[in-house]
Amino acid sequence: MSKEIFVIIEHRRGTIRDVSYELLTKANDFANNIGGSTAAVILGNELDEMVQHLKSSAHKIIALKNEKLGDFHSEYYQEALKSIIEERSPLLVMLGHTSASYDLAPALAVAMGLPLISGCSDLRLEGNKVITLNQVYGGKINAEYSFETEKGGIITLLPGSVPAKPGGLSAEVEEVNVSFEREFEDKVFIQFVESAAGEIDITQAEKIIAIGRGIKEEDNIAMIEEFAQSIGAVVACSRPIVDAGWLPKDRQVGSSGKTVKPKVYIALGISGDFQHLMGMRNADTIIAVNKDPNAPIFGAADYGIVDDLFKVVPAIKDKLAQL
Amino acid sequence: MNSVVCIKRVPETAEATLKIDPANRKLEVDNLVFGINEADNYALEQALLLEEEFGGEVIVVSVGPPETDEIIRMALAKGAGRAIRISPENLSELDPYSIAKLIAHELEDEEYDLIFTGCQASDDGFSQVGVALAELLGIQHLSMAVKMETEEESATVNRELEGGLMAQYKLNFPAVITIQTGLNEPRYASILGIKRAGSKEIRVVEPGSWNEKMVELNKLSFPPPGKMAEIFQGSPAETAEKVCEVLKTKGLL
Amino acid sequence: MSAGDLEKHDVLSCIQCGRCTAGCPVSIRTTFNIRGTINLNLRERKKWIQPQDIWSCTTCHTCASRCPKGVGIVDYIMGLRSYQVERGKIDPAARDALESILKHGNPWGRVREKRSDWIGENKVRILQEGESTEVLLFVGCTPAYDPKAQKSAQALSRILAIAGVDFAIMGNSETCCGNEVKRMGELGLFEMLVEDNTNLFSKYKFNKLVTISPHCYNTFKNEYPNLGDKVIHYTQFLVELSEKGKLKLSNDNEAKAIFHDPCFLGKQNLIYEEPRTLLKAVLKEELLEFDRNRERSQCCEGGGGRMWIEVDSDKPRTAEERVRDAHYYGAEILATSCPFCLLTLSDAVKTAGLEDKLQVKDICSIISPGEGEKDGQT
Repeated sequence: MSKEIFVIIEHRRGTIRDVSYELLTKANDFANNIGGSTAAVILGNELDEMVQHLKSSAHKIIALKNEKLGDFHSEYYQEALKSIIEERSPLLVMLGHTSASYDLAPALAVAMGLPLISGCSDLRLEGNKVITLNQVYGGKINAEYSFETEKGGIITLLPGSVPAKPGGLSAEVEEVNVSFEREFEDKVFIQFVESAAGEIDITQAEKIIAIGRGIKEEDNIAMIEEFAQSIGAVVACSRPIVDAGWLPKDRQVGSSGKTVKPKVYIALGISGDFQHLMGMRNADTIIAVNKDPNAPIFGAADYGIVDDLFKVVPAIKDKLAQL
Repeated sequence: MNSVVCIKRVPETAEATLKIDPANRKLEVDNLVFGINEADNYALEQALLLEEEFGGEVIVVSVGPPETDEIIRMALAKGAGRAIRISPENLSELDPYSIAKLIAHELEDEEYDLIFTGCQASDDGFSQVGVALAELLGIQHLSMAVKMETEEESATVNRELEGGLMAQYKLNFPAVITIQTGLNEPRYASILGIKRAGSKEIRVVEPGSWNEKMVELNKLSFPPPGKMAEIFQGSPAETAEKVCEVLKTKGLL
Repeated sequence: MSAGDLEKHDVLSCIQCGRCTAGCPVSIRTTFNIRGTINLNLRERKKWIQPQDIWSCTTCHTCASRCPKGVGIVDYIMGLRSYQVERGKIDPAARDALESILKHGNPWGRVREKRSDWIGENKVRILQEGESTEVLLFVGCTPAYDPKAQKSAQALSRILAIAGVDFAIMGNSETCCGNEVKRMGELGLFEMLVEDNTNLFSKYKFNKLVTISPHCYNTFKNEYPNLGDKVIHYTQFLVELSEKGKLKLSNDNEAKAIFHDPCFLGKQNLIYEEPRTLLKAVLKEELLEFDRNRERSQCCEGGGGRMWIEVDSDKPRTAEERVRDAHYYGAEILATSCPFCLLTLSDAVKTAGLEDKLQVKDICSIISPGEGEKDGQT
């Protein structure tokens, strides 16, 4: 078995996604610990520019080229990856725990007969076992999973698990022209669709008050809007609020919504699963109010109040009125 | 149009106090309430909507203990025609791959146009079974569907990407689609409906001990305290005052 | 539903006089017109008409109280709703409330293990199976979980302790009474709750079942088997205590107060005097009255599932009209004795911008002996 770690690079519209640099950072650390090396595997049509960006972040770059790989399509990606993985037998294949890997990783693992652990936040090698750390039950419990590395294996890493840092490496670049023996006409990528833009751009806001399930009823949002207005903040939310149709999609903070970086982020009644934390962890100051002292949001916040938001918000409004 | 919907029974853990069993392998479930996994509920609704529009049958499949019948009956009350419950002996040790394998095995003799699953389970958060199932069955798949326009033999589906972007695909049937929350508005299962659904078939499959897994659960633990927020103590008036101080110090008022 | 349902609720005797719609609190602000719905269904019996706007109904009972022919209008609306519940296509918020009751025993989506967290520092006995108590206090879901309504539970338990009453609660075993469940047309779940609660009550020995909410009172009193005589609303019980001299009330509260009759206490159960007796005993000044009081009391729109179901309207909620009226009459305290009224009216005080002028309080929070005068948090 080789000691090479494959990192599958994710890109969209010609830009490498941040999660790939995080993955490379993690993979380089992991490879260092076991005396192995990393290979950034990038699939696409026009790759030269992106390959340049990757050069210092891996020991090797494998660029798999075909015009069918231009936009992400899990079936073509799977075909291309399958042959290179079969050929090189890397110790481990790493992907981001992202929308792309939801579509790709489980099918790739089945097709290759490889074990897959998705959504881990850390990993290590013990003997011939890869051991991962996963957050389960909404981040309230940690789980340790493992598989034997005889045949290799696949893991997907939660975005935001490590800060990306420069690799200081100089990768050799290997270009492979991929050919496909079959076409996947039963599944055709048509286009990217932007969700409708609203009046408020939360990504530009300096102050955000974000609400989650704890708001309980649509009616209660008026009270939050009023509070937000009084301090010049905008109201954002976690996913369930958008699912319920109480706020438009462009107010959603998190991996499937917007990433925000305000000066202050006040999270009200948000438990803070990792998808949400992904969207707001870079706020300068985070204040969280939640009834559950074990809510993961308190792990991301600078200041916390373990109480009912319906008690705390009126009290804050009162205090503000006195100032 | 015949659809299969895979549903999972999961504990509601958001507000509950969680306890881990002495062997550090399982959650203690005595104080927990279970229900259908949230995304699976949307998947079920999508299948029911298609059945209303195109006719056909909705078949519910779940891998779980006998208690899973609670959520299966709800699905039957909402309009699913029949159900298959797969209950292997070593249920709690199974990984997503072996669960997908169990389901694939049971679906060999079924006729379906679509298989729906939720895009993610709220307990382990793996997001694997639906897509693995498609590969095992040799059909195509799309995960994270947030919009779906269906015709007799194909659908145009928007998948959710990061940052509010969607990717649109055309997908021919048969296919597996994993459904993200918010795609539709799940209906309610009334108690009388659940009672009436008692006459619908739940076929129970007991494959004994199922040894297909590739991933082991080593242990569960509570996250270490790590970096924690500074928690303001006191009455709402006192904590509110501290919030205002923070805002003031940072020049945000 | 069939023509049989029309007979069951005496709908066939409807003379289309329109007194029902004329008195209906929501017909003013929504498209809901109960006379029209009845008319359509009488004319088109084969094609049953189930308009969505029946969900605007608060089940306040004004229509049925005023109907000259005794049509069971509210029961008929519950029947219409039950058909929509059976089809499963109901308002998502109503769906969530009902599912929460099935799972957690309360409509608020909160876990059972926190049901008695409201007790806090208070000393309240939690009854164990087989134990007995003179008074079983049925807290109810809203006073158990809602921070505003919790104050009523806390205040009442302090009063009972001061009066030396032997009382206890069922702690986390207590489960939703089902009054709103029935009114949302989820009759199967209601039956299930009646059965479960009847079973639960049989595990304890008690002589009186005191409720905080008139909604719990209503269903226990009128719709549960074998409970009737034991059930008593807390306002009735406190009057009893005061008449026996166990509760000393002194009229030193200087605030000007007005009383809002909750529909499920007043027009549905004819309890008008006891809340007033209590208020008069503690107020220095004369108790103010709305023009629309007692059997004409205006519904706050909190009943019949409307705590969860929002209606389309560009007109203000009736609760907002109510608090403006209270202010107009010169009241500083709007007193009521129902957790739903407490919440809807408190919200209305904010939307009406009367926060500095009017406080909404449950009667037990006004007479609570240990309570400070100006806690400012209604």
